[in-house]
Amino acid sequence: MITIDKLTKFYGNNLAVNNISFTINDNEILGFLGPNGAGKSTTMNMISGFLPMSGGSVEICGVDVSKDPVKAKSNIGYLPEIPPVYPDMRVREYLSFCAGLKRIPYGKRSDEIERVMKLLNITDVQKKLIKNLSKGYKQRVGFAQALLGDPKFLILDEPTVGLDPNQVMEVRNIIKSLKKDHSVIFSSHILSEVSEVCDRVVIINKGVIKAIDTIENLEASVGGSTILHIKIKGDRSRAAAVIENTQGVAEITAIDAEGNDFFAFTVSTKDDADTVRSAIMSELLARKIQITEIFTEKPNLESVFTRLINSESEKKGIDALWDEVGGQPSPLELNKDDFDGKEGEE
Amino acid sequence: MLSIYKKELQSFFYTPFAYILAALFMFLFTYMFNTGIGDMESNVYEFSFAGIFYNVIFYFIFLVPIITMRTFADERKFGTEVLLMTSPVNVAQIVLGKFLANITVFLFMILGSTLFPIVTAIKGEVVVSQLVCAYIGFFCWGAMYIAIGMLISSFTENSIIAAIVGEIVMFAFLFVDDFAQTGFIAQYPKLHSALYAFAAQPRFEYFSQGFIRLSDIVFFASAIIVALVWNYISLEKRRWNKG
Repeated sequence: MITIDKLTKFYGNNLAVNNISFTINDNEILGFLGPNGAGKSTTMNMISGFLPMSGGSVEICGVDVSKDPVKAKSNIGYLPEIPPVYPDMRVREYLSFCAGLKRIPYGKRSDEIERVMKLLNITDVQKKLIKNLSKGYKQRVGFAQALLGDPKFLILDEPTVGLDPNQVMEVRNIIKSLKKDHSVIFSSHILSEVSEVCDRVVIINKGVIKAIDTIENLEASVGGSTILHIKIKGDRSRAAAVIENTQGVAEITAIDAEGNDFFAFTVSTKDDADTVRSAIMSELLARKIQITEIFTEKPNLESVFTRLINSESEKKGIDALWDEVGGQPSPLELNKDDFDGKEGEE
Repeated sequence: MLSIYKKELQSFFYTPFAYILAALFMFLFTYMFNTGIGDMESNVYEFSFAGIFYNVIFYFIFLVPIITMRTFADERKFGTEVLLMTSPVNVAQIVLGKFLANITVFLFMILGSTLFPIVTAIKGEVVVSQLVCAYIGFFCWGAMYIAIGMLISSFTENSIIAAIVGEIVMFAFLFVDDFAQTGFIAQYPKLHSALYAFAAQPRFEYFSQGFIRLSDIVFFASAIIVALVWNYISLEKRRWNKG
């Protein structure tokens, strides 16, 4: 288990990481999410013992990184953002150097190198100079280095950056397979990757933790407000009025003009999305407004992320939304009573 | 430490680097030897190997920084510093491993020069004690320059800058005693003796005459230790300052 307690980092007067605490359990994949400059790499550098912390502590299996660095570091494998490879070395040479650095007993080195090379599919480039390898291969050589000696904890800083889609899948599968007897901390800015691979997620912004939870809980925390996307053809003001007045609709959050006569509404709901959807459909159809598209957007990590990161940005009223698509429509002609008695009709 | 030592040696010997350096050194030594032999005809000049070493040391200023310039600058440039710092080795081991590797390359470089005394001994006469002492002095001086060159390499991530600054500093160390003896400095005895304390040349002179004095050994050893400890501090400090 890695325990991170009140970790703080100052760069001069600049506070990069502010008092963050979390733990990484055994056999867990922890995603580390945040926009650029959030302090992800700084935190990972501190956990791995490369950067000294300004305050707080990191304990790896009960060993404090700053008090007994050599012992603490022997339990981790670290792949930094830029793979730490020597361009003038051959792949095998490099891995054998790293095996020595990690104090793998001499007799086991060769087997261990074969194992990681096989795992990352770099056996056929083992005699090449690293400087002649492509970015993806360099990344994999760096990854192989982190896996040498089978450390209990792996710290991977954006391990899939620069890989082609096939390789990304391979690396993700490797990470998943590592879960059996390792813990992995894994930073990424690809949200789908994180939601696919990780058990828990830490979302960090401007050096402060915004959320730590499982992906399911985070997605649920966005609330019952499922998002509906409705695209209609024809009278936008009538459509807007109908949608706004349908029961279960919380508000219209966006209106986009698409082409001449098409309008896309983004609607957040209060009640069950399916009921609301059919209610809106029947209301619109009853008013002879053509629906060209309607679909429900499930809350996902992406919306959690955007919401947490942009929590300060203000909400727009419907007037502002109209302004964006070219001015207010004519005043509502519809009587609210028109809608009564039609609910639940399908 | 051993793996760092081995890796450093690989980077010298798996590339033409060490061989070119050794060839260059041999070329310089041969040149000095030949001019030395040529000058024997004149009665004023007394040929000795120590004299050749004296001349060769001047060229050290250009050779040693080439050995040491990449030591830490390249680690920083390629981002491999992270690998060393996050491996279960401590900084002192990193510094020592690299220092020993550089020393090995240096020894390899001067190895070829032993050919000349051997041949001379077969065909003529060599004062062995003086020669051995000169070699020891030569080695001490080289080791000191290597420690200084490594220290300078740890200040920058550009190996060319490390080489140029190294040359300047080594030049200063070579001529500090000449500088101390200039009329202007000699006016101030305290400044003169302070500068003179840093001078390696008079100490080498004892070695080349066949003396091994404890004070000279201590001088070179302490210079090496100061440079290596400073090197350690410089690497640690760099981590603290990062950002």
